Amino acid sequence: MQDNHIVEIRDLVKRYPVGGGHFTALRDVTTDVAVGEFTGLVGPSGSGKTTLLNIIGGLDAPSEGAVTVLDMPLGGKNHKELAHLRREGIGFIFQTFNLLPVYTVFENVEFPLLLMGMNGEDRRSAVNQALEWVDLMDKVKSRPAQLSGGECQRVAIARAIVKKPKLIIADEPTANLDAKNSHNVMGLLVNLNRELSTSFMFATHDEKVMGYLTRIIHLIDGRIDKDEHISEPEYRKGK
Amino acid sequence: MLLFKLALKNLLGAGTRTWLNVAVTSFSFVLIVFMSGFYQGFLEYAQQVTLETQVAGGAYWHPAYDPDDPFTLDEAHGIPPGPVSEQLATGDAMPILLTQGSIYPEGRMMPVMIKGIPPDQNIVTLPTAVLGEYTGSAIPVLIGAGMAHSAQLEIGDVFTVRWRDARGTYDADEAEVISVMRVENPGVDVGQLWLPLEKLRDMLEMPGEATYVVAASGTELLTDIGEWQPKPVIFFMQDYLDVIEMKSSNAKVMYAVLLAMAAMGIFNSQVLSIFRRRKEIGTLMALGMIRSRVVALFTAEGGMHSILAFILGAIWGGPLLFLVATKGIPLPYDPTEFGVIMAPRLMGVYGVSMILGTTLLVAIIVTLVSYIPARKIAKLKPTEALTGRSN
Repeated sequence: MQDNHIVEIRDLVKRYPVGGGHFTALRDVTTDVAVGEFTGLVGPSGSGKTTLLNIIGGLDAPSEGAVTVLDMPLGGKNHKELAHLRREGIGFIFQTFNLLPVYTVFENVEFPLLLMGMNGEDRRSAVNQALEWVDLMDKVKSRPAQLSGGECQRVAIARAIVKKPKLIIADEPTANLDAKNSHNVMGLLVNLNRELSTSFMFATHDEKVMGYLTRIIHLIDGRIDKDEHISEPEYRKGK
Repeated sequence: MLLFKLALKNLLGAGTRTWLNVAVTSFSFVLIVFMSGFYQGFLEYAQQVTLETQVAGGAYWHPAYDPDDPFTLDEAHGIPPGPVSEQLATGDAMPILLTQGSIYPEGRMMPVMIKGIPPDQNIVTLPTAVLGEYTGSAIPVLIGAGMAHSAQLEIGDVFTVRWRDARGTYDADEAEVISVMRVENPGVDVGQLWLPLEKLRDMLEMPGEATYVVAASGTELLTDIGEWQPKPVIFFMQDYLDVIEMKSSNAKVMYAVLLAMAAMGIFNSQVLSIFRRRKEIGTLMALGMIRSRVVALFTAEGGMHSILAFILGAIWGGPLLFLVATKGIPLPYDPTEFGVIMAPRLMGVYGVSMILGTTLLVAIIVTLVSYIPARKIAKLKPTEALTGRSN
C-alpha cells in the first residue's frame, strides 16, 4: 500500500444469498482512497454504495478480493479485530443519525471515547472540543428527542470526529435534512476535512452533497462506472 | 464498571417498562421472603411450644406404649425402672399415666384420653398447680380451650367420666372442670382430660405406675434403663420436621411460580428490547463495541432488574417484614381451634442467610433469562442490525 492511501480495494466482489442463488452487489471494484480525500460514492439505489461503505468500515465482509483499510487487510479478520479497527480508526455518520436515545448529547459524543478507555479529563476535553466544532455547546444536556434533525446530525458528526479518526464514513448524511441543514452539515464536514486532514467517504445521491466532493466515484450495478477527481468543487465556485 | 454504568443508564432511561419489571420482581422477591419467614416462624414456634408443653427434655416410654395404637394403653403402664426413678425423686423427670375413657357432658358421650400428671410439676408449662388446690369431692379436671370448646365445657361444669381400671372393671364418677388452660399445642389439649396423677393412679388401681416419664429440659437422657425406651427430643420433633419439609416442597412450587412471573416479565422485556433496539445494537457495534460486550451489556441490563428490585423491595418490603417479625399478624380466629400449633399472632422469622439466599436466587434467575435473549444479539450482523433486520 502506498503511504498516502487510506483505503485500498482490489477486485472486490460482494454477493448476497438470495433464495437458491445469490445477488452480486459489487463486482470487480478496484480503487484507492488517499489521505484527506473528500470522496463520494454516487449512484442510484441498489448500485452498491452502502455495501461498499460497509465493507470499508469492517461491518461486512467481502466475498472475493482484497480490502485494506488504515494499513489493515480486512480479509480473515475476526469480529474483535474489525471492532478494534472501527473503534480506533473509523468514524461513522448515519442517515438516521443513530444516536443513543437515553443518553444526552454529551454522553452520545463521549461514548466512543468510553469504548476506547480514555480517561475522564481527556474525554471531557475532547467532547467539549467536538461539540464546539459543531456548535452544540448549548445542548450538552439535551436528549436526542429534544433536538431537531439538523442538530441530531451535528451530534452524530461530533460523535464521529471526537476520537479524531483517520477515516469517516457517512452513509447518506443529508438524506433526512432540509436544504439549509444539508449545506450547514456539509460545510461543517468540509471544515473538519481541512482542519483535521480526516478522509471522508460518503454514499449519496444528493446533488447538494456532490457539490462539496473532491472526488466522485460513480457506481452502477455494483461496478465503478466513472471516477472523477474534482479540483474545484461546486461550493467553492459559488463563493 | 463501564458496562454497569451503561446498563444502569439504559435501564433508567427505559422508564416505565423498567419500573414495571422491577415492581413485579420486587413483589415476587418480598413475597418469597415473607412466606419463607412465616414457614420458619411457624416451625420455630411449633417446636418451642411442643418442647415447653409436652416434650421438655425427652421421655422414657413403657415398652408396651404406642401412642398410635390406643389398644396398647391397657398394657402400657408400670413402675418406672430404677435409674429413671432416681430422676423422678430428684425432680428431673415426672411420670405421666394414660388411660382411655369416656365423658358424658350434658348426656353426650365423648371418648377422651385421661392423663395423670403431678400437679406440682414444673417440667412442662401446663398450669397443673390448680389440680393440687382442689378441695371438692369430684374428680378435678384440667382441660384445654380446644377441648372445652369441642365438649362445650366451662369452669365449674360437672360431668360424668367413665374409665376401666387395671383389672378391666368399668367405673364412673363425677368430674369437675376446675380450670381451662389456653395452650397452643393440640397434643395436650384436644380430647384430653388432665387429672392429678395420684388420683388417676387410685382410679386405675395402678399405684406408683406410669405410661411414660417426661425428663426435664437439660436432663441427660438415660439409655441403660432395661425394657423402657428412652425417646430423645429429636424423636418427637421429627414429625414437625417432616411436615415442614413437605410444606417447604409445596412452597417451592409457589416460589417457582412467583419467580417465573418475574422472569417472564424480564424475558419479555429483553426480547422486546432486542427487536426495538436493533438499530442501537448495530450502532454500538459500528462504534466498535465487540459482540461479547454487547451481550454482557444486555445481560447486565436484565440482571440489574434484580438489584433494583432488591432496593425497591427493601424500601417497601423492609418495613413490612420488620413489622411482621416484631409485631406479627394477629389471627382473626382462636388458634386453639385449628388442631395444629399456631401462635395467636403469626410471627415471621427472617434470617440474613434466608434473605441473602433469596436475593441470590432471584438475581441468578433474572440474569439467566436476560442472557438468553441477549445471546441472540451475538448472532446479529452489524449491517443487519443497522438496517433494523434480525436473522
